[in-house]
Amino acid sequence: MATRAPVVQVEHICKDYKLGEETVHALKDISFNIDDGVFLAIAGPSGSGKSTMLNMIGCIDTPTSGKIVVDGTDVSGKTPDELADLRSRTISFVFQTFNLFPVLSAEENVEYPMLRRTDISKSERKERVSFFLNTVGLAKYAGHRPNQLSGGQRQRVAIARALATRPRIVLADEPTANLDYKTGESILSMMKAINRAFETTFVFSTHDQRVMGMADRLVRIEDGELTTLGVRAGNVWKYVKEKDVPIPTSDAEMQQLLKEDPELRRMIMEDPELRRALLDDQSVAGVAGKGGR
Amino acid sequence: MWKLALRNVSRQKLRTAMTVGAIAAGVVSLVLAGGFVADIFVQLREFTIHSQLGHMQVYKEGYYQYGTQAPAKYVIDDPEPVKAALLKNPQVNDVMARLNFSGLMSNGRSDLAIIGEGVEPNKEQKLGTYLSIIAGRHLTDDDQFGIVLGEGVAQSQKLSPGERVTLLMNNKDGSLNSLDFEVVGVFRSFSKEFDSRAVRIPLAAAQELLTSPGVNSLVVSLQRTADTEAVAAATRLQLSGKGYELKTWEELSDFYRSTVELYDVQFGVLRLIILGMVVLGVANSVNMSIFERYGEFGTMRALGDRNRTVFGLILAENVIVGSTGAAIGIVLGILLAVAISAVGIPMPPPPNSNTPYVAYIRLVPLDLLGAFVIGLMAAVTAASMPSWRVSRSHVADALRRNI
Repeated sequence: MATRAPVVQVEHICKDYKLGEETVHALKDISFNIDDGVFLAIAGPSGSGKSTMLNMIGCIDTPTSGKIVVDGTDVSGKTPDELADLRSRTISFVFQTFNLFPVLSAEENVEYPMLRRTDISKSERKERVSFFLNTVGLAKYAGHRPNQLSGGQRQRVAIARALATRPRIVLADEPTANLDYKTGESILSMMKAINRAFETTFVFSTHDQRVMGMADRLVRIEDGELTTLGVRAGNVWKYVKEKDVPIPTSDAEMQQLLKEDPELRRMIMEDPELRRALLDDQSVAGVAGKGGR
Repeated sequence: MWKLALRNVSRQKLRTAMTVGAIAAGVVSLVLAGGFVADIFVQLREFTIHSQLGHMQVYKEGYYQYGTQAPAKYVIDDPEPVKAALLKNPQVNDVMARLNFSGLMSNGRSDLAIIGEGVEPNKEQKLGTYLSIIAGRHLTDDDQFGIVLGEGVAQSQKLSPGERVTLLMNNKDGSLNSLDFEVVGVFRSFSKEFDSRAVRIPLAAAQELLTSPGVNSLVVSLQRTADTEAVAAATRLQLSGKGYELKTWEELSDFYRSTVELYDVQFGVLRLIILGMVVLGVANSVNMSIFERYGEFGTMRALGDRNRTVFGLILAENVIVGSTGAAIGIVLGILLAVAISAVGIPMPPPPNSNTPYVAYIRLVPLDLLGAFVIGLMAAVTAASMPSWRVSRSHVADALRRNI
């Protein structure tokens, strides 16, 4: 999978900001690559800096130090206009709050980011609008305004809008946080399907287990520090920064793994989210024999 | 972009309506105030011309500067050719002559030093006069030896219409000459001082008293006031080198000039105040809507719109709002102006007069355009600051404000 060059290279990123008198270190020396076509989750508790990380990849925030290379372009020191042009060509956003333009219909919202692209003809634009609205299953809602659509439908429009420019990378900030469980689920599997079908790179910030469960890359950030880098290889999470963790297909297999590897057991016990991701708590408590709750 | 701007404008209908209303109200007040002032100017102008000055006057060279002390020295001895030349111009309505003199007036009991004017009574009547009759009547061409007296003259000499007086003065050669006149009327002007010294007699009688066929000034009235400058220029060319001088009513009336200047300054201040009020009102609503849509602008920029595009969109929205408001204001202003003019505004007598008059709202195309531009400018000015701020703000911060 990693045969192509990375879409994004993050090198020694630090981000400080002032909060009153104090300087807060939001991100501390973070480095990782995002390979082309991956479905990557940036995980971490709220306030950990994952949204900041996502904003920097999206070139709407700038690091205090360090370098970010997006699609072969070093974005440090670029003017706002250059960054805007880079965004319009290579980056798309899906927001937690959908952020559709309320005065535009679904199809106009999808068309909007293509309007400034002189390289896309009008007929091509129209074609893409209907194609992507069809992809997200909203072809018959093309003329509806956002306030006539449900939350899930709005997020689908937002995804169609994100895909319409054929970006190298789609950044999604907590895309399911404002949706109910079932809708979130279907949105996620739709994104995963799109990821597979078009090989569009997706990057999420999330603390949603299901998102992490679907990801094939995991970047875990806690208190501004990168704690875990995971690569899913088949059924196994290979941890670059920490120990490799296999992904069990059944509870029995998981328990077997935990028995064989005390190091893994410790790691899982210390990471409640990983624990939730990999097993249900009862079995862990039973196998690990420690007070997991 | 204009389509998007238009839709954004119509999103918050009530708020947009209020902004449009504020601008329209400002423009209406500009149209009405401007039209009122324009009408005052026009009325004052016509009043000035028709009170005594005519549209222009022709004198012997030097009269304007020195003539008041020694009118006898600056006399056009043969006015007929000049008159004929002036009358050839089709824009000239009429030409009439005046002759100034000073001397003594006697009622048989005491003498009074007076200044007087010989005039062509019917023509003066046609032009109009600043003298209002308080007893008796105006002079007419039939009063060969009639005289009208200033109020003060009549009082101090205890004269009333029907009584007889004698005028005594030096003629051109220095010998004394006297003539008897019959008082036909008593007048009052705007100046008490003038009224206590002034008399008016027919031109022919004045020429006989001074034993001179000449006149001091030829007063020209035109068909249309707007032609004044053109006719004056043409006439100056015609008369140049022949020892005459010409003054237009504007040059003759300090009062008109200073009044117009005063009103212009006042109206300029009024314009500024209205502009300021409209800007404040619009700024408030623009600020509110921009603040609410902060996240939306963040989204636009996250999707790859340049700052300039966001700035442009907000300006476009306010150009729409501003021009709509200004257009409504102009239409309303015109309607109101027509309605008010149909009724008329009763005004107290202007200075130099004791007759009240009726003012109208005069619609000057250039002023209407000015009012429109001010309305539009107010909206754009009010929007430019907050939209600049938005377009410079941090994208990530702006997005965070999206709820």
